Amino acid sequence: MGFLDIDSASKTYGSVEVLHNVNISVGEGEFLVLVGPSGCGKSTLLNMIAGLEDITSGEIRLKGNLMNGVHPSRRNIAMVFQSYALYPNMTVAQNITFGLEMHKVPKAERESAMQEVAELLQIGGLLDRKPAQLSGGQRQRVAMGRALVRNPEVFLFDEPLSNLDAKLRVDMRTEIKKLHQNLGTTIVYVTHDQIEAMTLSTRIAVMNEGHVQQLGTPKEIYDTPANLFVATFMGSPSMNLVPVSINANGEAVYAETSNSFGETVKLAVYEAGSDLRSMSGKTVTLGIRPEALTDKDGADHRSTHVERCASTVGVTEPAGSDTFVTTSFGGADCVARMRADTDASPGAVIEFAFNMENAVFFDPESGIRIG
Amino acid sequence: MAAMQQESAVRTSNATRVLIYLLLLLFAFFYLLPLFVMGVNSVKPLSEITGGNMMALPEMWTLEPWRKAWSEAQVGVQATGLKPYFWNSIKMVVPAVFISTILGALNGYVLTKWRFRGDTILFGLMLFACFIPFQIVLIPMARMLGIFGLAGTTWGLVLVHVVYGIGFTTLYFRNYYAAFPTELVRAAQIDGAGFFQIFWRIMLPSSGPIIVVSVIWQFTNIWNDFLFGASFADFSSQPMTVALNNLVQSSTGVKEYNVHFAGAILAALPTLLVYVVAGRFFVRGLMAGSVKG
Repeated sequence: MGFLDIDSASKTYGSVEVLHNVNISVGEGEFLVLVGPSGCGKSTLLNMIAGLEDITSGEIRLKGNLMNGVHPSRRNIAMVFQSYALYPNMTVAQNITFGLEMHKVPKAERESAMQEVAELLQIGGLLDRKPAQLSGGQRQRVAMGRALVRNPEVFLFDEPLSNLDAKLRVDMRTEIKKLHQNLGTTIVYVTHDQIEAMTLSTRIAVMNEGHVQQLGTPKEIYDTPANLFVATFMGSPSMNLVPVSINANGEAVYAETSNSFGETVKLAVYEAGSDLRSMSGKTVTLGIRPEALTDKDGADHRSTHVERCASTVGVTEPAGSDTFVTTSFGGADCVARMRADTDASPGAVIEFAFNMENAVFFDPESGIRIG
Repeated sequence: MAAMQQESAVRTSNATRVLIYLLLLLFAFFYLLPLFVMGVNSVKPLSEITGGNMMALPEMWTLEPWRKAWSEAQVGVQATGLKPYFWNSIKMVVPAVFISTILGALNGYVLTKWRFRGDTILFGLMLFACFIPFQIVLIPMARMLGIFGLAGTTWGLVLVHVVYGIGFTTLYFRNYYAAFPTELVRAAQIDGAGFFQIFWRIMLPSSGPIIVVSVIWQFTNIWNDFLFGASFADFSSQPMTVALNNLVQSSTGVKEYNVHFAGAILAALPTLLVYVVAGRFFVRGLMAGSVKG
């Protein structure tokens, strides 16, 4: 039993099921990120934890106590909304203490709790202002202050950074991470931004169409995605997917495909499992991240399984720190992440290096990763 | 020089500009003429009106017609002037406006933030109330007031006007609250505020413009209403409009036009005052709710 347990939770609106049998157990102090495209049910799940939406079936428990049907204010949770939802008619100080006032906390206690939070978030100078007089970042801080002051068991964040401009978003992301490290509270955080998910979380639940596709640490999600959806959703540029045919020849297993001018490319598979061996002679999908597909000098020197092959450069996209180079393998467009000073130029034939230690394989029909 | 030009969608020459202003002045004059006639004739002795020009300024200024209209004129059986009827109107308008506005706000709040099955149908039916002509409800309403024991009382009129006004006030507040972020209500719920706490502490304090619209609309309609006042009030509760009619329509004695004019202005003053005080919020409030809904 975890700190926050979501146990076969489902949600239906009329005859439409938007969440199917979700099981997540969150430990105390964990930072769980729910990530997925819009309409995947992540916000609905968060609202169900908050008590703003009913649970159609299943259970949600906090510290072992059943939360189904418990009013939001009695769950000991706090929520930060996408629009911040600051009360426009109240000052910052009133906004922060409104929840305490509603819970009949004495005035002196409210005051000291508010000062503490204001100091923590550096909003002491804003306490007498109205929300309309604040900038986006300041509103964000006040919204977090309103959540913090209640000292809840669980913080819920509903896309809190999506209304900020790009630079402020990165700053606030770091602040939220710091806050989590300093306070050690349990956080459930909803976002559609996979970079936010990767950087903030201790665990990620990738959701699509009302199903949890994969639940795991950022590294597990990134390195061993459970299926094609997770593989392509997480990571930018997304994972290259190349159709290959498996050729198990005694001990060695090869994945065979072709390069841009039709030559056969044979890639030795690293640590092929029995499932992959049994696919011998069949076509599967090879997944390889752009940073595992490089120029030959840029390949990971610690990797012992780098396979090289020549192919034609399509387009080069210098991005400052790296240069992205496109080519094609097996008829699929691929993006390779090369050093910034790579000599690849469009139309040239250069050697590409596959770091096979980081390659994964998927069943092209079911989309599930082959172990 | 582009920077010197006036900010205007259409560029006009000086000649057309003069023409436009002349036309506007003409219209303004035309609209203000009746007020002018009422004004000047209410401050001259009756002999000047019957003997001379309605448009002329008074030769002898007097406030006697005003005093007479307010406290002496023969309106009902007794020569009380319009004064008691003015207070009847106030006693009717203030509670009726207050109650219908609060109920409209509550309805709007429920219809947008506590939605339930069939809420749009219910709202549609309430909207229907805006289109029912007064005359249709006269007889059923008289029967209801009789059953409630409110026939011929000021509170009876308050009830009638509240019932009739709810359709409009609900429409205003529903459209205003439809654009009001639901996340605020959710945040307040998590903060532990209940149904009425959210209403009083979050919704109402943010509803200034639409409250003004509702108050002006309700005040003007209820104050100016004649039909309900004439049908459901007795001598002790007749509103100003009915009394003014009785004053002007009296068929005995000399018709004191100067007193009638003064009385008519007295009857129009409160609505005028409400417009002057709150009018600049009126258009703003009407626009505010029109984004959504």
